[in-house]
Amino acid sequence: MVFIPLIVDALANAALIFFVAVGLTLVFSVLRILNVAHGSFYSIGAYLAASAGLWIVSAGAPGWLTFPTLLLSAIFVAVLFGPVVERTLIRWTYGKSEAVQVLVTFALFLILEDLQRMVFGVQSVYQDTPMTMLGVVEIGGIVYLNYQLLLIALAVFMLIALKLFISYSRTGKLLSAVVADREVSQAMGIDTSRMFVIAFSVGVFLAALGGALATPTSGVSPGLGADTMVLAFAVAAIGGLGQVEGAAIAAIIVAFAKVLAIYFAPSLDAVAPYLVMLAVLVVRPYGLFGTETARRI
Amino acid sequence: MNHIFRTRTAASALALLAAVTSAQAQDKPESLDLGVFTFLSGPAAAYGMPGRQGAEIMIEKINADGGISGVPVTATYVDEAQGAEGVISEYRRMADGEADFMIAALSSGNCLALAPIADQLKMPTIGWNCDSHQLFKEPHDYYYRPNGNTIAEFMAYTLYFLEQNPDISRVAIINPDYSFGHDAAEIVKATLAAMKPDVEIVAELFPKLGSATYQTEISRLAATRPDVIFSNLWGGDLENFVRQAAPRGIFRQSQAVLALGETVLQRSDLPEGVVVGVLGDGWWRSPDAQSIGAASDFAAAYAAKFDEDPVFPAIKMANSLLVMKAGYEKAIADNDGAWPTEEQLIAALEGMTAQTLTGEMTFREDNDGVVDQVVGMTTIVEGIDYPVLGNMVRYDGATLLPPAGTDPIEWIGTLTPAFLSDLPKPGSYE
Repeated sequence: MVFIPLIVDALANAALIFFVAVGLTLVFSVLRILNVAHGSFYSIGAYLAASAGLWIVSAGAPGWLTFPTLLLSAIFVAVLFGPVVERTLIRWTYGKSEAVQVLVTFALFLILEDLQRMVFGVQSVYQDTPMTMLGVVEIGGIVYLNYQLLLIALAVFMLIALKLFISYSRTGKLLSAVVADREVSQAMGIDTSRMFVIAFSVGVFLAALGGALATPTSGVSPGLGADTMVLAFAVAAIGGLGQVEGAAIAAIIVAFAKVLAIYFAPSLDAVAPYLVMLAVLVVRPYGLFGTETARRI
Repeated sequence: MNHIFRTRTAASALALLAAVTSAQAQDKPESLDLGVFTFLSGPAAAYGMPGRQGAEIMIEKINADGGISGVPVTATYVDEAQGAEGVISEYRRMADGEADFMIAALSSGNCLALAPIADQLKMPTIGWNCDSHQLFKEPHDYYYRPNGNTIAEFMAYTLYFLEQNPDISRVAIINPDYSFGHDAAEIVKATLAAMKPDVEIVAELFPKLGSATYQTEISRLAATRPDVIFSNLWGGDLENFVRQAAPRGIFRQSQAVLALGETVLQRSDLPEGVVVGVLGDGWWRSPDAQSIGAASDFAAAYAAKFDEDPVFPAIKMANSLLVMKAGYEKAIADNDGAWPTEEQLIAALEGMTAQTLTGEMTFREDNDGVVDQVVGMTTIVEGIDYPVLGNMVRYDGATLLPPAGTDPIEWIGTLTPAFLSDLPKPGSYE
């Protein structure tokens, strides 16, 4: 009896984790940068979507307008931050050590956290119109929100769309070439700088979309970005950094671990994702879908 | 020569007189500067900000009434969201000259950390909100808590829902994952074991403090089909939980008991019949508050300034400031009208009884306050556009507190169902 709710809960959890983790892993695969500020884009997307939704509702506009707001907020964040951040701070770190890259993106994370406090304030924000508008459904004797099912569908759609984009679009193929060999791609005439901007902006968009989609079922408050970032790192590491399918599978594994803990061992709830990460990395240090690469000295 | 002697004597006398006058003037400060610690950011600010706002209103009221013995009160507010290390360092910095008295703090964790420092720095301090019964395991001379503690609070909710639902057999608990949540769970279980040992705890969930989502926990609660769901989630966490749980029918499926529920009544759509509390007697609409008379004025000033009615953290803060004021006034009276030293103030607070906006508070010998516990259920009444407390009971504070120095959980274990039958019943407080 508990089996069906467990699966629904795990998939709904995985859907939200997937968006932010796949964005992180995409940026890493193309730019070779572990972007600590990724969690900030998630929370900025969440704050923007929630604030815009609240404004729409308070202005007396139809509630369904809050749905396109979720997508538009993510696009706005990507357009606002993607090119600017990549062309300034991130570009400056190319070729520098991983320590410098992590420190720079961590500094950006701290700056963005303070900016959020200045712009959105320090109080929690709630915008649940999309959740309440879609109603509920009973599955396995448990009442679920239709919005949770919508999230699962959107995550599946996004996974397929990303795979199609990377495999069949011209830009996607160029990105794959850059991932395969940056220097040869440049020699072949691919504008790698442009590819970096595109990949980083898509990563920002995915993070912001994850945050925006989370707002109808979650509160938004300071600290959200850090929590999300840590979880996204765990998922990306489990899946193998740079692996889109890996991020999807890892998101499901982590979500199952978390849900199983809540159902059967609540005291392990907080550490469950990291226990899974530990178990995977002990056996496969490069993640489930990652490949071992020789280090050049 | 004689003339010179007389002149010198007169000059010395004048100098001495000037020195004495000057010393007296210095004794009575130009202002009484408070350090007020509360959560001003993050999810906990949903609870902490009403505390700050309550302080602002009460300080304005005290000053409008002439201050404390003519001395106006000022406050510097410190954000507890910066973490214990920052809170401690801020407390030390302020105690070193900037503050005369501390209202610190909201978080039990911070209170546990600050109480020994208050003793060490000889800084009179009132813990305005911290509830942990662990606080006075060690004696503290300079630290006072005018709000009672977790034992009385969580026993009160358990006794109430047992009276209200005598046939229950399944209880689920969802509390925040830190000492306040775990302590509350332990008290609820101990009380159930003493009063109705056949009750089964079907789920114990401890989501992280500050969780953004509770969807899986809600599924788990729904799946276990409990008769009663008990929670001491608070602040933004509670608001988040209520907003997520209500559409999923949790409040229709089980009797919900939200120990700190009064804080979210104006901000979320809780249905009628949910057991909610105020941790103590801090409800400004209670019959006692109405008969005392000052709470309505406080609430009116609060609503005028912040465009909402006060919730119980605001009342707890206001009550703490009234207790502080009463302490100073008693110390000044004991000191023949002179401004008291820290030691004289502490001596005055010892065992003091003070009237608050919502009742009466007495400090026990361990500096813990004895206050009544008010519990009720969400009820819609005409003229108020959000649910308020109905079907109330007011438990005598002393009845629900173990004697100082005894192990509280062991004390609960000594109680029998006769204890419950002797208590006033839900609906008896009107």
